[in-house]
Amino acid sequence: MAPVLVLWLAMCLGATWAVDRGNFKTCDQSAFCKRQRALKPGDSPYRALLETMELTNTRLTLQLINDNNKVRLLLELYRLQGNITRVKINELKPLKPRYEVPDVLIRDPPTEPLSVLSQDESGVVLSLGAESQRVIVSVRPFRLDIMEGHDVLMSLNSRGLLAFEHLRMRKDTFSYKVTSTVASVWDNIKRVFSSRADPEAEKKEEADSADQAEATKEEEEKAEEGMWEETFKSHSDSKPNGPSSISLDFSFPGVEHVYGIPEHADDLKLKTTDNGDPYRLFNLDVFQYELYNPMALYGAVPVMLAHNAQRTTGIFWLNAAETWVDISSNTAGKTVFGKMLDYVQGSSEIPQTDVRWISESGIIDVFIMLGPTPKHVFSQYASLTGTQSFPPLASLGYHQCRWNYNDQEDVRSVDAGFDEYDIPYDFIWLDIEHTDGKRYFTWDPHKFATPKEMLQGLLDKKRKMVAIVDPHIKIDSNYKIHNEIRSRGFYVKNKDGGDYEGWCWPGNAGYPDFTRADMRAWWASMFAYDQYEGSMENLYTWNDMNEPSVFNGPEVTMHKDAVHGDWENRDVHNIYGLYVQMATAEGLVQRSGGVERPFVLTRAFFAGSQRYGAVWTGDNAAEWDHLKISIPMCLSLGLVGISFCGADVGGFFKSPTPELLVRWYQTGAYQPFFRAHAHLDTPRREPWLFGPENTALIREAIRQRYTFLPYWYQQFYHAYRTGEPVMRPLWVEYTQDPATFAVDDEFLIGQNLLVHPVTEEGARGVTAYLPGKEEVWFDIHTFQKHNGAQNLYIPVTMSSIPVFQRGGSIIPRKMRVRRSSSCMEHDPYTLYAALNARGVAEGELYMDDGHTFNYEKKEFIHRRLSFSNNVLSSVNLVPDSHFTTNSWIERIVLIGSSKPAKVTLKTADGIESQLEFDFDASMSVVTVRKPGMNAGADWTVTLE
Amino acid sequence: NKMLSSEMWIHILAIALFCCGSADSRKVRGISSSYKRFYREKKSFLCIDGSKLIPFEQVNDDYCDCADGSDEPGTSACPHGRFYCTNLGFRPHYIPSSRVNDGICDCCDASDEYNSHARCQNTCWNLGQRERAYVEGQMRTLDEGLRLKQQLIEEGVLLWREKQAQLRELQQVAEDLQIKLEEHRRKKREADRFKEQTLRALKGGDGGKSFHLKNKTLGGILICLFCNPYSISLDEVKAEVVPVHDEERHLGDDEAMVLTTTESAKTNRTLTCVLAHLLNTNKKFTVQGIKKVSFCWVLICDLQKKLAIDYGTDWEFLFLNGQCYKLKVYEYMYTLCPFNHITQKSTAGTEVSLGLWGMWAEPAKNRYNQMIYENGEPCWQGGSRSTTVTLTCGTETALRSVKEPSKCQYIMDFQTPVACQPVLKQRGVHSEL
Repeated sequence: MAPVLVLWLAMCLGATWAVDRGNFKTCDQSAFCKRQRALKPGDSPYRALLETMELTNTRLTLQLINDNNKVRLLLELYRLQGNITRVKINELKPLKPRYEVPDVLIRDPPTEPLSVLSQDESGVVLSLGAESQRVIVSVRPFRLDIMEGHDVLMSLNSRGLLAFEHLRMRKDTFSYKVTSTVASVWDNIKRVFSSRADPEAEKKEEADSADQAEATKEEEEKAEEGMWEETFKSHSDSKPNGPSSISLDFSFPGVEHVYGIPEHADDLKLKTTDNGDPYRLFNLDVFQYELYNPMALYGAVPVMLAHNAQRTTGIFWLNAAETWVDISSNTAGKTVFGKMLDYVQGSSEIPQTDVRWISESGIIDVFIMLGPTPKHVFSQYASLTGTQSFPPLASLGYHQCRWNYNDQEDVRSVDAGFDEYDIPYDFIWLDIEHTDGKRYFTWDPHKFATPKEMLQGLLDKKRKMVAIVDPHIKIDSNYKIHNEIRSRGFYVKNKDGGDYEGWCWPGNAGYPDFTRADMRAWWASMFAYDQYEGSMENLYTWNDMNEPSVFNGPEVTMHKDAVHGDWENRDVHNIYGLYVQMATAEGLVQRSGGVERPFVLTRAFFAGSQRYGAVWTGDNAAEWDHLKISIPMCLSLGLVGISFCGADVGGFFKSPTPELLVRWYQTGAYQPFFRAHAHLDTPRREPWLFGPENTALIREAIRQRYTFLPYWYQQFYHAYRTGEPVMRPLWVEYTQDPATFAVDDEFLIGQNLLVHPVTEEGARGVTAYLPGKEEVWFDIHTFQKHNGAQNLYIPVTMSSIPVFQRGGSIIPRKMRVRRSSSCMEHDPYTLYAALNARGVAEGELYMDDGHTFNYEKKEFIHRRLSFSNNVLSSVNLVPDSHFTTNSWIERIVLIGSSKPAKVTLKTADGIESQLEFDFDASMSVVTVRKPGMNAGADWTVTLE
Repeated sequence: NKMLSSEMWIHILAIALFCCGSADSRKVRGISSSYKRFYREKKSFLCIDGSKLIPFEQVNDDYCDCADGSDEPGTSACPHGRFYCTNLGFRPHYIPSSRVNDGICDCCDASDEYNSHARCQNTCWNLGQRERAYVEGQMRTLDEGLRLKQQLIEEGVLLWREKQAQLRELQQVAEDLQIKLEEHRRKKREADRFKEQTLRALKGGDGGKSFHLKNKTLGGILICLFCNPYSISLDEVKAEVVPVHDEERHLGDDEAMVLTTTESAKTNRTLTCVLAHLLNTNKKFTVQGIKKVSFCWVLICDLQKKLAIDYGTDWEFLFLNGQCYKLKVYEYMYTLCPFNHITQKSTAGTEVSLGLWGMWAEPAKNRYNQMIYENGEPCWQGGSRSTTVTLTCGTETALRSVKEPSKCQYIMDFQTPVACQPVLKQRGVHSEL
């Protein structure tokens, strides 16, 4: 073990077991947050200058003036296709350009015409298209209200918290004195000329300059509060650009539930922040993070959803700087009784949630997604930042990871263990110790002397491997990667222009500037088989530490005044991790000549990261609460587009009890990214190390995962097409049922599977809420039927994983679980059709080759399966698709069906044949034996 | 081993004959000859667990009808079924049904991939050859190992007797010395008492404290400390010594010297010297005498401790005590000194203890195939390093492999003839065929 690591970990472990909060800033310790938060709601100093309004076909522009300091802002308003309104606010004439986040939007969002409905001196009313939606721009104070009919959907700056710190010259420096002198001379000259022309104007100017002087004075007084320099612990931030933060408030009348803004280890429903810190978005490597608080974690997606029984809307705050989000609510803290009292007394106060965003730099660029349903919001957000990348099928299987599998022999014996204990898996992972001294893209010459041999061994079993490639590069002149990056000038620079250096796993390390397209292209080229020695087509990549983690940096990350080309890390911080994964995924695509889908796991992420692969919730711990939090953490990510989410099964730090480990496998088997992982210092925990009973329980959980792979795959295809989350909160499907709004101990996979994992130690039972008045739900193990809209108590044993199939759905499964998903490729399907109260069920069947991009050329089979009037049929959803399969339908299980007299199969060529079937009267289940038709064909099965 | 291979041949022949003899009836794929009786072609097939009667056509029709999987021995249709690889020329065995036609060759006769894209070769003959060669090699090793073991047992018995004799001899010497010493001390004490009385009479002071040294107690401490089967910490030693120490205030200057020179020596050596000094009331004579006695005790205790260890039913592991075996793995040199300690030395030169002799892993079963070494260098996250040494049969005694599957938990493979078990040979014959 490297001494660095010992040192660092020992340092961290010196304290008690929990995050060291002192390592991370509170809002009060973050100068801009403190300044901004000191500003309380009230009248906004901003006024819209209607005379500056310009309306073109695609946008409206308008100047805003801050009456306190006379600094002008430029407001741009766009109506985007798909019911989205974009609001951009920047300085009219900034001293230098302010950062606008590139590479997140998948294209320039297509606009739709805006039109003025009415206008007077108090404001303008603009039409947002056909649906009687309007934007009202109020002049004094400036605010925006988005209306539908008589309802206000959302208001901006209604609490007057628009605050825009304009760029300015530092006043105690020489350059300022020169410019200010020049400016005053120029002012005088101007005044001489203008006074002749317009005496009225002169007065006004004088008044203005008096104002400005006053404002300047005020600013001078404030200038000491961390505007030009800030220190935290032993680190100082030089802030050469001075104050540059921005803030804006949003109000949601009628809304009590807001969600999103991951990543936080907190409940699904966001809490009000009045009595504590705001939710923080700032990508950080948080050692042993604590649960249920708003501290920043590894990733940031500045997207919030607001929901009530009538409507769902969303805000996408496109800013990559450190961001804080305050949430307050007029109903927060009210008891149910209080709310009832309001209702009885006919209190006029409607519930409202107010949100305020604060960012350290950049501009205000907000996309207001107007829904009206959650699925509309998902598609609106997807139209901006893209959808979940469609992963290779195998990556939806089980992943076995550990820090570290020690050598090739270790890998071989773990691989053999899975066969010995008959447990399927698809990927085995190698953490940092596999490298030659933490030099990524290399292998330890002793422990992994013949990586290709090892990879071939896995390939022979149709299995795959992931090796870690982190973005910190060991500074070592004998290391090719370092030499190339240095000679090309690709490293991030420090404030003085030299290469930025920080301490990480390899010791002293440089950080490639992934914000540069040329750097990313070079990085991608390093994954070519002839560059990355020892790599093969079944080797994939894991990007860790890409916040980036800098052990000796402020808050364990990069100095904010580090330089990325024209910008500071301050501006680009939260998007760095996205770029790392983007470049890596591109590398994996390129190495196969654009044929194969990549698989890249990342720890840090930003809006748009869904396009590049999977995300996990970082370094959790083997504790029951960490198992519980995996649900809301992944649900929150799913809501903002990142569907491919998982938590380390078993918990990274510490050692799980066998019970916790089993429960975690049972939970993870029903979460999108299913990987077990463990810290270097924990004892081994491969599935077979806890006695035959626990091995059997874990085996069963993993096997259940594999039987559902066709459903998972279809869900991911759907996510790729629509941006809808795979793992979703109940309220997304049951939008009008308030009982679902805060549920985060259970979840849906797609629309059709409801999962309530057991996350309590020693649990004898769980109470699951089965949503939907009209719905019926069937236990997937027993086929027992339960009505919707009830809290159901479910007794559990160690083998129980409470999962329900929605009545009205058809789920294709593959029941022949084999060593890996690839081994199951040609296997037949069993269709589980669960009938609803009307005797109807619907579902889809999607398949393709499982690993190439050929699905883009419609090389897939996508069919609609529907059961109604006692006829089950398979219809091609995409007639011009072309793919053939050997897979066939081996069984049809009709759940909640009455007993038929006979069952007839009719194939596309019109031939009819009788099918055998079984009927289980106790659960009303018809099992049709071996219908045998090809899974890609048209057919009907009729029950008579 | 002759017997083994001929038995194997007979078996192979039997299978071959069996197959030819029953070639008339439809071949049911994936079953062994012993299960053949369940699959006689009739109109119907009864699941082996008796749960269901199905038409015989549904046997191996790639659909699972029986809950026990017995109707699909030759396909992958049943979730918990198994497929019998006949593997003519090699060992027959079962694989899970899920490995039938999964594109991976599992049976060496390729019978599991009769309907897949995998191009499997029949490798049974080669494997059989190799296996037979391997088994023969193993058998040779075992024979040779057992022969060597017998020698070592004989040597062990001799060694044991020799050590016992040594022990008795030493005990005798110690006793003799003790007697002489006490005689001398008695004389000395009398002289001292006389001197003391004289002094007291001179000073008129009150000799409240007695300088009387309780020989019995001290002897007790000595034995107790040295022969304690558990390791004694230095603190414990001090706790025992200090009260005596206080009484004896007048320790010589050279005590410090002795202590420092023995600093790196074993705790009990240091203790010996300390005690030697405690006893040293007359430097000129007794230092030598007491040192001799104490040294004897050390030797006795060493021997007794050594002899208290379980060296197997025939003392066959005794010869390992006192030996050390080394192996270099990557950047580390590992040293195993059986029944003593294990260390790891990095190329940088730092040496770390991976554990001290603890015990046999399963002493109750009287099986001597795993040793536990514990209480090595502490790990920074709590606990201490420990090592499990697995003993395997071989003709040489050598350390074969070292692994660290989890942090600070090592496993070693240690080969030695004394690990060869005749019982293993018996089992080997049966399990190989």
